[in-house]
Amino acid sequence: MSKEWLICGAGIMTLASALMVVLSSNAIYSAIGLLISLFGLSALYLLWGSAFLSVIQVLIYAGAIVVLFVFVVMLLDMSRVVQTGKGPGWFTTLLVTGTGWIFSLFLLRALNRGNFAGAIEHKALGSISVLSKILFREYLWPFEVLSVFLLAVVISAYCLARPESLDNSGSDGVSIKGPKGGRS
Amino acid sequence: MISYEASWLSWTHYTAIALFGIGLVGFLLRRNAIVVLMCVELMLNAVNLIFLEVAVRTQTHDGILFIIFVVTVAAAEAAIGLAILLNLYRKQGSLELNLFRMLQG
Repeated sequence: MSKEWLICGAGIMTLASALMVVLSSNAIYSAIGLLISLFGLSALYLLWGSAFLSVIQVLIYAGAIVVLFVFVVMLLDMSRVVQTGKGPGWFTTLLVTGTGWIFSLFLLRALNRGNFAGAIEHKALGSISVLSKILFREYLWPFEVLSVFLLAVVISAYCLARPESLDNSGSDGVSIKGPKGGRS
Repeated sequence: MISYEASWLSWTHYTAIALFGIGLVGFLLRRNAIVVLMCVELMLNAVNLIFLEVAVRTQTHDGILFIIFVVTVAAAEAAIGLAILLNLYRKQGSLELNLFRMLQG
């Protein structure tokens, strides 16, 4: 019984820190909220029996993505806030989101019909040996496509982030200005 | 073997829906481009939670493999998005999303 309350607690932690991402005015607090939210999701994966997913959630999301976000937040100066214009108001946003939310609740009701009542006995999903067998047999082509995709991402990230002084070598030294035109 | 009541799985589904809703509200309302990217990550994680529920309900491993693919693509998306944001900050000196009208002509 206590494990089920752990599921409840992990979900509440995830949702509360997701609210912290949206509501906090400082971007670094948003990054910290994202970190706590990802840890809550990792706990949910662990409680539903896939330890491998929990590990890669912490390693990739908390270890790589959130660190990247924190780097960018720290590199850029966020204090110069310029208030211009108005975005969509709270009312429009809540109307659109609430409509989608109610639709997905109906979707849940449609999914829930049938044989899902009662206790669920399930084996621990996602052990590494089983996952790797499926990944390298049935999902081999998506895996290879994903590797080519990651290569493209590496090349395009380099092209986006390189300083301009590499293009016209020797014109103005090592000044880092960024691309002027629409190239790269 | 792990045994839960099925209602707890529905509770996980509600958590995923609420997480997606929170991410969507932040995506639509926040002006800071970095926070908008974080909200995209929140929505991707909500979808991952739905995939986990599918894997648990159907007792197959396909949902878990989908989660691995989504995590990989999310990492790539964050890298490219943050590189684009760095270039935008170099050009404009700000990351307020309603200042960017370069494509408007």
